[in-house]
Amino acid sequence: MPLGPPSSAVFIQNAAPGFISTPGRTPTSVSVHPVALFSILDHYLRRTDAQERVIGTLLGTRSDNGEVEVRSSFAVLHSETAEQVAVDMEYHRTMYDLHHKVHPKEVIVGWYSTGSNLNTYSALIQNFYSQETAPHQAIHLALNTGIEEGQQPGVQAYVGSPVGVNPKPENCVFVPIPCELRFNDAERSGLDLLTSNLSQTGNATFTNPTSDLELLERSLVSVSEMLDRVLSYVQSVLSGEVKGDAAVGRYLMDALGPSTEDLEKGEFNSHLQDTLMVSYLANLVRSQAEVSSRLALVKAS
Amino acid sequence: MAAALAATLPAPQSAPAPSAPTYEAIPASMAKVIDIEAEIPITSVQLDAIVVSKIIKHAREAPGSSAHGLLLGLDLDGTFEVSNSFPLPHHANDEDDKSAKGLARYQGSMLRSLKEVQADDSVIGFYQGMTLGSFFNQTLVDTQAIHQEKLRHGGVVIVHDISQTTRGNASFRAFRLTKAFLDAYKRNNFSTSSLIDHRLTFSRILEEMPLKIRTNALVSSFLGALTEGSPSPATETNPALASSSAAIPPSYSRLNLGTANTPRNLELITEALDNYKTEEGNLAYLQRQIAREKARADTYVAKRKEENASRVAAGLPPLPEEDVSRLFKIPPEPSRLESMLLLGRIDAYGKSLEETASTGLVKMYASKTNGGN
Repeated sequence: MPLGPPSSAVFIQNAAPGFISTPGRTPTSVSVHPVALFSILDHYLRRTDAQERVIGTLLGTRSDNGEVEVRSSFAVLHSETAEQVAVDMEYHRTMYDLHHKVHPKEVIVGWYSTGSNLNTYSALIQNFYSQETAPHQAIHLALNTGIEEGQQPGVQAYVGSPVGVNPKPENCVFVPIPCELRFNDAERSGLDLLTSNLSQTGNATFTNPTSDLELLERSLVSVSEMLDRVLSYVQSVLSGEVKGDAAVGRYLMDALGPSTEDLEKGEFNSHLQDTLMVSYLANLVRSQAEVSSRLALVKAS
Repeated sequence: MAAALAATLPAPQSAPAPSAPTYEAIPASMAKVIDIEAEIPITSVQLDAIVVSKIIKHAREAPGSSAHGLLLGLDLDGTFEVSNSFPLPHHANDEDDKSAKGLARYQGSMLRSLKEVQADDSVIGFYQGMTLGSFFNQTLVDTQAIHQEKLRHGGVVIVHDISQTTRGNASFRAFRLTKAFLDAYKRNNFSTSSLIDHRLTFSRILEEMPLKIRTNALVSSFLGALTEGSPSPATETNPALASSSAAIPPSYSRLNLGTANTPRNLELITEALDNYKTEEGNLAYLQRQIAREKARADTYVAKRKEENASRVAAGLPPLPEEDVSRLFKIPPEPSRLESMLLLGRIDAYGKSLEETASTGLVKMYASKTNGGN
């Protein structure tokens, strides 16, 4: 899924031979997991008043085709003044070592900062992280929190590319590369949990847990709403109010096409029996467990 | 592990930071909700978005259901506000002294590091990953018992069911030990009589606390922007396609018939039942042994009395009454904790199986109707 506003940027592959000083494949795309995103936002919330932006280290994995998966991140101390920039390298190492103990597969892939301005300091920090990730190239995630007026929240990913006749650490071109949000089934339902209360006002909180059946009901209601929408669209096409879109028609055909013939040929009944049996068993086991625990209490009396 | 945790926990009344001895007056608006002496009882738990995603990530990646970590945050006006968490490394054998020390070091330096970037650094509990609803085990109970002793307000344990989350229902529940159980645990007495005194069954080991999920304003706005997506040219011409371009499209994974977990669930139930049977067998064996030893002791005492009576009748001095407990080793009554925990596990598996079956039924009828039309 795309992260942030669409841009007209064309993603250049800086594959000019002899230009890239580091071996290893240039990252071609970046995918970010929600946990990294939330860590960055949390870090931004907890910044001190003096800090314009916050930076931190991105951890994740690289695949052979140049895709970088950012799986988590941690905050790193740094200070920026008009004259100098300092990154607490010792802190960075300590945190990485700690993190490595729990998730040994995740390596340093780059760094993040909030705000979308890239300056000389960004180039210097990029240079530092390039040494950390050598022989691979470091990526840079610029996360715009969207709290300043006129700015869209979103994430941009860059790789650094040296510039000039004599490459210097403070000179760097940040080449944008595609970046998307990636989640698996488990993270997906976590996100659902978080997004489901967005529409409520204020400091939205709600109580868990919901049962499977409730969630199923919610999904069914939303499917039924979608069917209604499709139906009204189809009817308006049929009555000639709207010009039909062939692509939409084909999608609808695909979506509604699949048959459930298998279920009808006796499969349904046998499956039904299985399910009922399982349900019966589950109830039996539970009541037995309950009885057994009560019996333990009366034995001695 | 439990011992290591205990070693590193901060003192219950954590002293204010030495560098800032000046106390600001608590504003009147907050005076009611801040309790320095930890007097307001805790009634609910609140999870931040970052904790939700961190726990899910860790539980998914850790082998088996071994994911556990610490929760950091504050208590405010009767609510535990969990604002951060970090995972603990997984060790194959917890008995290893070296690994326990490593764990303590790991925790210490992690807490220090988090403090440096202004994150909360006070431990208020721990979390535990689980599969198919079963979270009763000895480690959880031990750790929570230590926490309830040491932490302010006794701490909380949050369990997360990874199998349910994969099915589309992110499940987090907050628990702490009941007073009755804690009392029995402190005395280390889980004999039948103690269980009766405390009215303990597996469902009364832990009490559940209401849990809220909170997304702070920044995360809300960010997520809001992502879920809404930006209007692309295609959607402007055709409002029917409007929601398809959002970054987080609606998910329908929970509509899958998804019975893949059922065999595993059944297996686990059978396994737990077997374990329970073995445990019951052990208990019964011990009970029999106790009964046998007691009977032997009783007959010995009776015999001695009889002998004394005859000796007195014959005008001889009676033999001294010997200490029976020294002659006969009556084994202590076995602890029923393990069997209680096993029953709890069986119940949890049964419950998750029941839920799967019930939603399965609904889904099946739904797809049947679809086919019928």
